[in-house]
Amino acid sequence: MIRFLLRRLGLALGTLLVLSFIVHFMVDLAIDPLDDLRQSTAGNKAELIARREAMLMLDQPWLTRYWSWLSGFLQGDPGYAWRTAQPVVDVMGSAIAASVTLIFASTILALLLGIMIGIVSALRQYTAFDYSITFVSFVLYSLPVFWVAVLLKQFMAIGLNDFLNAPALNIPLTVGISIVAGLFWAGALGGDLRRKLAIFGIGAGITAGMWIFILYSGWLNTPAIGLIGLAILGLGTALVVTLMFAGINNKRALYSALTTAVVGLALYYPLQWLFYLYEMNMAWMMGLLVVAILMAMGIGWLWGGPDRGVSMRGAVIVGIVMSFLMYIDRIMQVYPYFFRHTLIKGRPVATIGASTPNLTGDFWLMQLDRFMHLLLPTIALVLISFASYTRYQRGSMLEVMSQDYIRTARAKGLPERVVITRHALRNALMPLASIIPVDLVSLIGGAVITETIFGWHGMGKMFIDSLKGSEIDPVMAYVMLTGALAILANLAADLLYAVLDPRIRVNA
Amino acid sequence: MSKPQEVGLDGAIRLSRRIGDGDIKRGDTILEVRDLGVKFWVNGEWFDAADEVNYELKAGEVLAIVGESGSGKTQSSMSLIGLLPSNGRAVGSAKLKGTELIGLSGTRLREVRGNEIAVIFQEPMTALNPVYTVGFQIAETLRTHFVMAPAQAKARAIDLMRLVEIPDPEGSFDKFPHQLSGGQRQRIMIAQSLACDPKLLIADEPTTALDVTVQAEILKLMRELRERVDAAIILITHDMGVVADMADRIIVMKDGRVVEHGTSDQIFNDPQHPYTKALLAAVPHLGTTATDFAPALKVSLVREGDTPIPLGPGDAGATAALLMEDVTIEYPKQGRRPAFRAAKNINLRVDPGRVVGLVGESGSGKTTIGRAAVALLPVVEGTLHVAGRDITHATNADLYPFRRDVGIVFQDPGSSLNPRLPVGESIGEPLFLHEKLRGKELSDRVEALLDSVELPRAMRNRYPHELSGGQRQRIGIARALALEPKLLIADEPTSALDVSVQARVLQLFSDLQERYGFACLFISHDLAVVEMLSSQIAVMKDGVLVEVGPTPEIVNNPKHPYTQRLLSAVPVPDPAEQKKRRELRDAIIESQHLVS
Amino acid sequence: MTDERPNEEPQLPSEQGTPGIVPGEQLPEPSETTEDATGRGEGIGEAKEVEGLSQGQVVWRRFIRHKGAIFGVVTLGLVALLAISAMGIGPIPGWWLWQDPMKPLTQVNQGVPTLTLPTWLGGPGFEVGEHPFGQDNIGRDNFAAVMAGIKTSLLVMTVLGLTALVIGVTIGSLAGYYRGKLDTFLMRLTDLAITLPVIVLGAVLGRLIGGAPTKFGLPLEVGQWITANMPLLLGFALGMILWPSLARLVRAEFLSLREREFVDSARVAGASDWRIITKHILPNAIGVIIVNTTLLMSAAVVLETALSFLGFGINPPNVSLGALISMNQSAFQTRPWLFWWPGLFIILIALSINFIGDGLRDAFDPRTKRIPSKREMDKALSRISPANAQEVAS
Repeated sequence: MIRFLLRRLGLALGTLLVLSFIVHFMVDLAIDPLDDLRQSTAGNKAELIARREAMLMLDQPWLTRYWSWLSGFLQGDPGYAWRTAQPVVDVMGSAIAASVTLIFASTILALLLGIMIGIVSALRQYTAFDYSITFVSFVLYSLPVFWVAVLLKQFMAIGLNDFLNAPALNIPLTVGISIVAGLFWAGALGGDLRRKLAIFGIGAGITAGMWIFILYSGWLNTPAIGLIGLAILGLGTALVVTLMFAGINNKRALYSALTTAVVGLALYYPLQWLFYLYEMNMAWMMGLLVVAILMAMGIGWLWGGPDRGVSMRGAVIVGIVMSFLMYIDRIMQVYPYFFRHTLIKGRPVATIGASTPNLTGDFWLMQLDRFMHLLLPTIALVLISFASYTRYQRGSMLEVMSQDYIRTARAKGLPERVVITRHALRNALMPLASIIPVDLVSLIGGAVITETIFGWHGMGKMFIDSLKGSEIDPVMAYVMLTGALAILANLAADLLYAVLDPRIRVNA
Repeated sequence: MSKPQEVGLDGAIRLSRRIGDGDIKRGDTILEVRDLGVKFWVNGEWFDAADEVNYELKAGEVLAIVGESGSGKTQSSMSLIGLLPSNGRAVGSAKLKGTELIGLSGTRLREVRGNEIAVIFQEPMTALNPVYTVGFQIAETLRTHFVMAPAQAKARAIDLMRLVEIPDPEGSFDKFPHQLSGGQRQRIMIAQSLACDPKLLIADEPTTALDVTVQAEILKLMRELRERVDAAIILITHDMGVVADMADRIIVMKDGRVVEHGTSDQIFNDPQHPYTKALLAAVPHLGTTATDFAPALKVSLVREGDTPIPLGPGDAGATAALLMEDVTIEYPKQGRRPAFRAAKNINLRVDPGRVVGLVGESGSGKTTIGRAAVALLPVVEGTLHVAGRDITHATNADLYPFRRDVGIVFQDPGSSLNPRLPVGESIGEPLFLHEKLRGKELSDRVEALLDSVELPRAMRNRYPHELSGGQRQRIGIARALALEPKLLIADEPTSALDVSVQARVLQLFSDLQERYGFACLFISHDLAVVEMLSSQIAVMKDGVLVEVGPTPEIVNNPKHPYTQRLLSAVPVPDPAEQKKRRELRDAIIESQHLVS
Repeated sequence: MTDERPNEEPQLPSEQGTPGIVPGEQLPEPSETTEDATGRGEGIGEAKEVEGLSQGQVVWRRFIRHKGAIFGVVTLGLVALLAISAMGIGPIPGWWLWQDPMKPLTQVNQGVPTLTLPTWLGGPGFEVGEHPFGQDNIGRDNFAAVMAGIKTSLLVMTVLGLTALVIGVTIGSLAGYYRGKLDTFLMRLTDLAITLPVIVLGAVLGRLIGGAPTKFGLPLEVGQWITANMPLLLGFALGMILWPSLARLVRAEFLSLREREFVDSARVAGASDWRIITKHILPNAIGVIIVNTTLLMSAAVVLETALSFLGFGINPPNVSLGALISMNQSAFQTRPWLFWWPGLFIILIALSINFIGDGLRDAFDPRTKRIPSKREMDKALSRISPANAQEVAS
């Protein structure tokens, strides 16, 4: 195992080195740092050119420049952006955080959505639902990300902000959304005609009801999940998780999940006090999450029974969901203040940058601000990339469902739920491990465009600006960082694969 | 131990309802099938895969459903537990202890599956989920139908694994399917099917994917189990030998219909329907040596210890068509996968006009020898002569004239013809390349070759996927014979074919051999087939030859223990004779302490 | 205790790089070729269906049955026809009034599109007018610009497809057939290719081509030639970075095909390597090649427009749909049509090609079968056996 890792790591470093060599050569050839001087009409043009050539070592062979860059890079100095004389490290510091947030948020969302919809689509193969999902994913696939991003920025954001300022019921829109929601649930859950009609009615009704409630209760002005919302969502999650992974007949698993939800509810007010008394930060959040997971595990363990593992797993999922909901709830509580803030001016959905400049406030306010900035770029990236996960997961699931061992599982008398969640799902998720790194790379590419459009000072924008401005050092820093990220992702995928698939022996 | 309940099911509460009242006794009628049919919806019309199937089954009885591929034998049985492909539908009636099975769905169907009716599938590698341990998969079945704690299920699963003679059941519980051998995997399948003490077991070609010696062990196990459990067994198979070994009653199916139904004795000794007669006649029968000319080799050469078998004497004055002297063959190293030595120190000769059979089980290296003989694999040690030409270290250019002298027929007729070429072009390719034939001449020769393998000339314009397996294999033979080679390698040419087709192809093959007089290395796992054709047999195991001798000697008087085991393992399609052979076989298995 | 051979060769994780895919390659659905599964009933009818047809005819039949693919072919054909006939090709002028999309014209109706819907669609009556897609703030005709942009996209896409096809197939087949050093090289190269987003490499190459005339002080004619043939050069350059994905797939196909027995048969018959590659293996890999080249081309359209949007692709005087959107994004509130029309056509082209690719994949995949819905089958069953159908339904 160690040998395998070392070998792969060595290979990765070699790849990075070759990559730097090739890209440095290409970029060096492509950029023209003397462009502006060449067109200048200044009297000392020749002198200026000579001075810049000396500064950028343009009078020396390319290999010398590469060597100078590489030795600097290896010693921890990735150079500087010569136009502003800013060291690359300074430029990159904040850029990395911004880009990584965007990329990870989009990847995770796209993955979750893509996998779920792909699986449901596969299970409903050859139905109208399947065909619609296929069609929609083809359309999303063909959308250029820059077009979507511009559309979101120039069209959606304005509409959304106007709406948030003066929420009003738009009847055709409400009806339309309700019908689509009803159709979606009816198609996804399936069954005979009567069942489908019932699901359609319930789905559309709940959607419409929720929407009307949100509009008329003034929820949009003071959004919150609240204790009641938390109770409904938490207990619902407990039921669904049990149904999916243990079967509703497994009473101990059900009780573990429900207990976790109830404990979470009981902790709601104490937590509000905690948030009130102490200044929060990310470390606190992580710590609280760990506590929640440990508590959930404890609850599952105490209910125990023969299937302790199953009970604990269900409880932990419920615990994580509850924690997340409470986090969201607390963030929502600062929304009214945020909305009225002088820097926000009643336009909460942000279209420029990764955060509002000069905005100061507590942890929750900053979280909300970041979230509002992340919203549109993330939607743009998710829309583009989740379609490919859907298609891939659908194909992989169909492949697995036609395997002999699925037939064996059915022949054993396992309920279809177990056949799918236990026997099909794990096998169908394995091939995904190999496409996630590839998709991550194309998502990074998409981020270049999104960042440019939404004015994020991220890595992608830095790359574009530096390439335009003929600054090679930041470009190389971007290339090395992206390359390292992709290689790490590949390595992680390999390891994941080895963990998931017992047939693979890591013996290289 | 007389029933599986006694190994741990006592006290466990059944989750799933049982059908009928209480336990079954031997002789109770369990299953009544009336006018059962299976239909498939293909391109807008219903296609009958099985029709009007009628039978009854008693507890403790083994019913064999026999037929060739496409006869509907599998589908009619799978319809009992609703396991048809999504475009299939069952019609008619099948009652298990009075409860209708056809049309069951939801919970009722799940309560029958695994609980009342269990299935043993053909291919144990793909039928077990690769990502779960075998122990878990057995325990899962138990816990689906019983209220059982994991520890209790594990104990019962280990008992079951012991019942099916898995070595070290406690240790094997946590193994993954890929860590077990094929035979062991099939034992796991059997253990899993017995887990809930079902009333009916459906065994779908349970030994087809296994080697013959492993098959013998599984058959032995199944025979022992049928004494211990009261379940009725439906055995689906195409192998008349297996049927003779196991069955009480037999149903013969053809094209979705039952053509004959009777006791094992009636079917084997007094078949009525012409199809049954033809089927029985087509099965190669071990112990019917037909070779009438005497080979130079009079006695068997047996491997002892690590000394390779020396080269036997050849026909006087003849240049051997194939001569391997101390040959070692390797699969070349690929990337980081090291080279694999598939055959070691082989001494083998095939004289002109002779057929030598090469027998062995999967992985024994017999195919390797065949491929090396046509220079598809490199010889790393020793010398290899084909028709007097040394090709041990020949380069590609040297090989060109050599190619005229050899031909090869592959096992899989589906893969051995280029799917994108009309078969006439495939046949004509050697002529095109070596005799530079074009146009009319080429076309005449192709037609002559088609005539010689008894195919209509019009078939030359067809594509491989339009032909049946037997037709494709005839094309393969025609192509191999196009240049009238001196040596033909036949690598399992009939093992992918149904028996009746196999019989016709073998007949054609021996006619052609007589007509063209080529020397042939006939590679097969099927001793009966080899015996029909060859004057000499070489037995191979783990990359070495263990016994070489004249056919009658090998078949009637095997010397090496492996040859003995191999021979005893082959079931013969005759219940009375098979009974005798079975005893011999079981004695050998016991004495050699073998568990697959 | 056992005389059986050890089990299958263990699958090593990514023996040669990741078992993954490379950018530009879309919808890599897992698949393996399976022989007909007789005995399980799934093969039944398959033989019947294809009887008496050549492989090409089978593929063609399946393709034209694919509604999406037909939609794609028709749409793409119409779009190409519209753009080429409107703006002309080579020396042949088109029929559209304004042949120069860069020429400022007088504003008609403040630049609002003159295209109106027919009355039965709720419009004031169908009319094309002088500027059906509107005008920009200096009066340039948007229809001419969009049509010119489509022509550029189609050209880039075709050149890119051909470049990637030639290089990818050549290298892929040689690597897959001979393995060895070339194979290792190819795998390392694709390892490199998957570490950087194509858009990043594309931007560098685009910048290289666009900046070359001034940077290297090339003679005026050369500079003009480069500017005039920018789409061609860009397509070629992008093809140079996108071919590894295709090569990788072709290699994989060759690796599996070369182990098939018909290849051994050909070798035993004395066929040369060249003949085996071109006559025996390549025709069997044609499905993979066609499908993936198609998908590569749809990725190309999006890639080219995105690069032009960023300013590293097609620059004036050439027109690109991406550059049009980039130019007009700030005018979204005042002249939204400048944004909608180019976007609509990008999507239309990419969508058509994706559908064609999907249709081709299904057509080449031997396992694709049309399975009717459960209801349809129950209905059909009730016609032949009413009693049972009720049982099934209950």
